[in-house]
Amino acid sequence: MKTLLFILASLPLFAQQAATTSDASTPVPSAEPVLTGWIDLGYVFIPGVGGSYDTYRSIIDVHQGPKLLGTDFTLADPKHHWFDTIQVRATSWGAEPSSSVHVEAKKSGIYDFNADYRDFAYFNFLPSYADPLLSQGIVLDEQSFDTRRKIASLSLDIRPGHWWTPYVAWDHDSSSGTGASVFVTDGNNYPVPNKLRDSTDLYRAGVRFEKPHFHVTLEEGGTVFKSDQNLFQNPGSTNNGNFSAPVFFGETLDLTSLLAAYGASGSSAYTKALLTASPADWIDIYGQFLFSQPDTHVNYQQYDAGNLYLQSQVLFYSSEQQLASAFAEQPHTTASLGAEIRPLKRVRIVESWMTDRLHDAGSAASTQTLISAGESVPFASLLATALASNYNQEAIDIFFDASQKLVLRGGYRYVWGDASYAFLPPEGLASSDHEQLRRNVGVGSATYRPSQKISLTGEFEGSSSSGVYFRTSLYNYQKVRAQVHYQPLQSLSVSADFTLLNNQNPLAGTPYDYTSHQESLSFYWAPRGSKIFDIQGSYSRSDLKSKISFLEPETLSPLLSSYRDNAHTGTALLDLTWPRGKRFAPKLSAGGSFFISSGSQPTSYYQPVVKLWVPLAKHVSWFSEWRYYGYGETFNLYEGFRTHLVTTGVRLTP
Amino acid sequence: MRWHLAVLSLTIAAVAPSRAAAQSSSFAGSETCKVCHEDIYNGFTASPHHVVETDAKRGWQGRACEACHGPAQAHTEGPSADNIRNPAKLTAAAADKICLTCHLNQPTHIGRLESSHAHNQISCTACHKVHSSEQPLVARKAEAINKQCGSCHLNVWAQFQRPFHHKLPEGDMSCVDCHNPHGSIRPAMIQMFAANEPGCFACHGDKRGPFTFEHAPVRFEGCQSCHEPHGSANPRMLTRAQVRFVCLECHANLPTPFSGAAKVAGVVPPAFHDLRLPQYQNCTVCHQKIHGSHVDRNLLK
Repeated sequence: MKTLLFILASLPLFAQQAATTSDASTPVPSAEPVLTGWIDLGYVFIPGVGGSYDTYRSIIDVHQGPKLLGTDFTLADPKHHWFDTIQVRATSWGAEPSSSVHVEAKKSGIYDFNADYRDFAYFNFLPSYADPLLSQGIVLDEQSFDTRRKIASLSLDIRPGHWWTPYVAWDHDSSSGTGASVFVTDGNNYPVPNKLRDSTDLYRAGVRFEKPHFHVTLEEGGTVFKSDQNLFQNPGSTNNGNFSAPVFFGETLDLTSLLAAYGASGSSAYTKALLTASPADWIDIYGQFLFSQPDTHVNYQQYDAGNLYLQSQVLFYSSEQQLASAFAEQPHTTASLGAEIRPLKRVRIVESWMTDRLHDAGSAASTQTLISAGESVPFASLLATALASNYNQEAIDIFFDASQKLVLRGGYRYVWGDASYAFLPPEGLASSDHEQLRRNVGVGSATYRPSQKISLTGEFEGSSSSGVYFRTSLYNYQKVRAQVHYQPLQSLSVSADFTLLNNQNPLAGTPYDYTSHQESLSFYWAPRGSKIFDIQGSYSRSDLKSKISFLEPETLSPLLSSYRDNAHTGTALLDLTWPRGKRFAPKLSAGGSFFISSGSQPTSYYQPVVKLWVPLAKHVSWFSEWRYYGYGETFNLYEGFRTHLVTTGVRLTP
Repeated sequence: MRWHLAVLSLTIAAVAPSRAAAQSSSFAGSETCKVCHEDIYNGFTASPHHVVETDAKRGWQGRACEACHGPAQAHTEGPSADNIRNPAKLTAAAADKICLTCHLNQPTHIGRLESSHAHNQISCTACHKVHSSEQPLVARKAEAINKQCGSCHLNVWAQFQRPFHHKLPEGDMSCVDCHNPHGSIRPAMIQMFAANEPGCFACHGDKRGPFTFEHAPVRFEGCQSCHEPHGSANPRMLTRAQVRFVCLECHANLPTPFSGAAKVAGVVPPAFHDLRLPQYQNCTVCHQKIHGSHVDRNLLK
């Protein structure tokens, strides 16, 4: 990362050198500037956070201090020696919840290089998510974490634009940090500290063949995965866990020492083959074949001590050791084939077939030793698992150009498959499951464009199923979407959008009733080409209703789980340019967004923002921004927060 | 039979003469177009498409405007909107056909026919401004991409204004991080990771597995079984406000048939769990390896 920053920092110097060289060797300066772009440097003030700082960090997480707020510049070499252009973009460096830098370097016909790096702070501490002790007045989240996720990718295309183009790429994703988790062993559960670390590297290389009538891409790749997680509690400390009365059969339960470590590693290899071809004027065909086979090996070791119990045998024990090793493998094959056929000038038929077959096989061997009253009680288990999903889909769509302004579409899709999950040896919970998927889907849509200024699109999809995997799966559903774009004036455009999803599972024993719809309206008005002002805004209303029945586990009494989310969302932004200013005209932006919902999780979230730009000189602008965040939950008042953020800085341009 | 046809077609294609060889005396040349459409011409020179104007191999050297707008000789002799082809006035399929003359056989279009954009007549030029001096041909910056997608997908952009969301409004992610606007083999044009795995795993590698003990919905129906990927008012972008209600929708304890159409997975009774007690109201407190476990069948560790 330091290297990347060094390169970033030294690029302007390099640009200056290039410019100097160019000036020295070329009597007539190039009309094209060598370096263009900008850099924003500033400082963020946070006067304070009212309410829950943990929720603030879970949602916003911006910290006070100096920042590189952003930069975007392009370095062009008029002589095209080593590159044509190098573009660098970066955002939010300096104690920010997320930072990124992106570099593109290219030389026409020779290479195309892209690098991307992102760093996300991933903090989450929301007691409403996992706090079994809230009723005792203890506010915590037993599944919280404070981690950073780093995502990087590099790709290099060689000979771009030629009929065959080799390429190589590397993608990286890693996370590390700390948090709280729960140590669970049989009936015992204790919140404990947690260390997390994982990384995935993906390497791939391939070649693209592109000719006027066909294209083939062949790619081979693989991943390397590592994950280490540790749960621990220092020896000698006492953890009473989540029990309001940690006494069981007269014994006080506690955890006095813990070390649990997961060591997971994995790899995969994959093959990708893509084909498109247009063998004749009336047909285009395409197909793809994808195969991957990831696997994972895990070693798990755990040692814990305290006064613990084994629920099934009402056995109290003072310490426990568990060793486990596990393996899982998942061959996964996907293939598709399709064609667009144009038998008549106004008719297009698109037919496609797809299959996705995933088979997961795993095994876990475990030995567990409990020390109870000076005696050791050993347990050993060997479990094998198998999960399979076979998904298939056949679809046909017919498009008819009724006129130059109206296009109609009708289609049918049949989806079928089966899924299974099994344990060996069978014991306890259900040891095997097998479900079938059978779904008939009809689709229809119309697109009407009476003029360039208006377009209307309506789409309907309806399904009837005779088998699904889960109660909440799409069963008998209707999806509707309608969209209108209208531009009454050159400076004014209006859009409206409506979506509906209604899903019903009518089967006795597994009924499910789900309906959601959303209506949105937006506009953009930029009179006189935004010379004085422009304004844009949007408003959305959504409503979601879900009802599903269940039996209360302890009493087996029937209950209904109802979920309702009725929300209003709005965004607006006004850009105002000082009317009498010319070259150094200040600009003012004001707007923001709001979200208000009622129902199962009534929430309000406000984000107004005002930003002022004042050009100070040809290459320097000053800006300041005020932003307010206000978040509240009706049912969890302790999670609300509010804060002001004031950012001030300068934009420098070459 | 299909394969025979494909092989035969490819063979014919390989020896077919380039369409670039087509010549016509009715072309006017780009310099002629520039006389009246100088702004557009100047904007076009900064576009990647300008290579069509300069590269002789592509067959349109000096006539790039007419590569899309068709022969313009008649238009120069009697300037009228009626005697020049304007892709903006064509149906989406007809406009796309012009773009696909050069771009059809490219890997980007492997999922084109399955994309909802193609199904709903969203033409290439809806997103790619061919000769705009203000917008690049391909939006590269996250904010520009999000603005472009959000201008049509109003409802989705509204979901991102909810408190728990992926970092798109902040400009740290873009729609194309998760979706392939040209189409994908997966629903909702989701990007793919390592050939055929859901694109979610590109950033959430720790949830990828494979696990010895899988949580079946993750594999069968994906992350959106439990999460609202665009944004939610619920912690962790869950579909329901409280964890137990997410779980109980499947683990409903209801008696279901052992076979037949009404059989569904996951109705395993939560046995001894007394939902009146707080420790049982947050299922993931104990079943913390909810995305899959390497060592415990009940996803406890």
